[in-house]
Amino acid sequence: MVADSRIVWLPVAAIAICQPAQATVYLTVEQAQRLMFGDGELTPVPLALSATDAATVERETGTRYYPGALRAWKAPDGYFFADAVVGKHDLISYAVALGLDGRIRQVEILEYREAYGGAIRGAGWRRQFTGRSHADPVQIGRDIQNISGATLSCQHVTDGIRRLLAIYAIAIAGH
Amino acid sequence: MKTTITACSALLLCGVLGSAAQAADATVADVEAKLEQQILQMQQQLEAMKSQLEQLKAQNAALAAQQQQQAAQAQVAAAAAPPAAAGVSPDLSLWGYGEIYYMHPTSEAANTQFDLARAVFGIGYRFDDRTVFNSEFEVEHAIASADDRGEFEVEQFYVDRQLAEWANLKLGLFLMPFGLLNEHHEPTSYYGVQRNFVETLVIPSTWREGGVGLHGNTRVGLDWDLGVTTGLNLGDWNPNPEDPLYRTAFDLEASGVAPMQATHQELQFAKTQNLAQYVSINYTGIPGLLAGAAVSTGKAAVATAPPGLPDQRVTLWEGHARWTPGAADLSAVYAQGRISNTAAYNLVNAGGSNPMPSRFLGYYLQGAYTVWQREGYRLSPFVRWERYDMGADFEGIAPGFTPVPTGLASDGKPWPQPHDRVWTLGANFYFDPHVVLKADYQHFDVNTDFTRIDLGLGLSF
Repeated sequence: MVADSRIVWLPVAAIAICQPAQATVYLTVEQAQRLMFGDGELTPVPLALSATDAATVERETGTRYYPGALRAWKAPDGYFFADAVVGKHDLISYAVALGLDGRIRQVEILEYREAYGGAIRGAGWRRQFTGRSHADPVQIGRDIQNISGATLSCQHVTDGIRRLLAIYAIAIAGH
Repeated sequence: MKTTITACSALLLCGVLGSAAQAADATVADVEAKLEQQILQMQQQLEAMKSQLEQLKAQNAALAAQQQQQAAQAQVAAAAAPPAAAGVSPDLSLWGYGEIYYMHPTSEAANTQFDLARAVFGIGYRFDDRTVFNSEFEVEHAIASADDRGEFEVEQFYVDRQLAEWANLKLGLFLMPFGLLNEHHEPTSYYGVQRNFVETLVIPSTWREGGVGLHGNTRVGLDWDLGVTTGLNLGDWNPNPEDPLYRTAFDLEASGVAPMQATHQELQFAKTQNLAQYVSINYTGIPGLLAGAAVSTGKAAVATAPPGLPDQRVTLWEGHARWTPGAADLSAVYAQGRISNTAAYNLVNAGGSNPMPSRFLGYYLQGAYTVWQREGYRLSPFVRWERYDMGADFEGIAPGFTPVPTGLASDGKPWPQPHDRVWTLGANFYFDPHVVLKADYQHFDVNTDFTRIDLGLGLSF
């Protein structure tokens, strides 16, 4: 009998806080571009990696390269990248700003769809990437700390950023 | 006459020269005008070409962006639905994990076993941006039939609905947010061939209950989860088995003898006269650090004590921490459970070989270090010390009896003790982040014949 009254309050609370919200998109690509580069003009940079470059990226990063997921823009003072990786079951979209020196200035999570593991949105975790470049390991357990409970999200976003840095170094800065 | 001719000639010359000069003036003006016109035309042409060029540039940029976007969309679709699942909705997700154990008790070679302990398949479906369904189906010990020891079970089956950026609602059968392992129990996530004893015998992983929960995370790194779930059915407790329920460490983990293992209901005709509540918090605001605690409490799902005696209540609380600075991975868990009013139950079942404990607990410390890592390969040795006690306190033990029978069991050996201190030394070798080979040596201080060498293969995708 007591149990009945206990179970009632949760859905009630749930309805009370239920509000229209754009569920999982924290930033659009355009918002991230403005956040990272202000009003600076951004020009799309086509990324067409040769088979040799793609193989180099895969070898150097220990990840697989699929053409197309990564998009790049040139800004007056750097580069803007938008990418997506699979977290545990769902896609995580994120954006990275690089300075002209190829070092990461900022990482933002654009969209996180999983019900759990959202802790990677925390500024503390994302800040670990600041200043890193293709010359750094950018690996969980080496220069990037994991978040327990969000292991796969951390792992896959870190892999994506390591690959992105390699693509920048090989296909953009190297040409 | 000569003068006249001369004058005429002079006049004529002047006239000719004059008209020639006039003619010349007219020609220059014409040329200038033509040139101006031509320049103007060229300017116009240049402007037109410039504008065409701008248009072409814009078209080119748009085309490049479009191509990238199309490629990105193709990639997103490919990532969401791998080629094997071509034709299947991108909203559907499939995953799985499993593990195989080889266990060799060092003093009882006859008890060596090789077991496909778990094969688990997950199916998820995203209904919309805010609503997702997750489920996991598990076959334990390779075959599930009436004649075999294996089980087929639904491990998770819930709908998660995002209510706001900071809060989600979950409904169904879900994992309880306790300890380090219960919610992250894939073999690639933990050290050692088998799960640790604390998070098997005290926190009964894989512990799930049916109910409703609210959970969310905050920007400062504080995750929270609370809800109302099915409770424990103490009526499932077996107070008087004729023979020991386990004879090896593997039996101990696999036979469900621990207080909460024996009484959780797994949403199979679950008794719900009384429900339980839980709350958990976790802090992950500092990269590499996780610290958290959780508590669950509720009256026994149905009354087991004789009428007129107070209801029984089961409470479990735990605290956990994990710190992963660089290549090191340090973790600790403490968990303790209490069952109230066990005296009446034990007096009714006086002399039983398995009285109901009023308190059970366990804790461990574990350290691992990645000594070698290259291109997906990783070698991480570890050491763990743990203590578990499935019967830390008993009430209502009849005079002349002990919680564990003192004589020999029917197999001629002493009854095993429900508590121990265990050292585990071993290593996880990953040849891909999703595939791991494991080896360890476990030393038991009390039940010394449980000491064993284990080998294992684990995978998750």
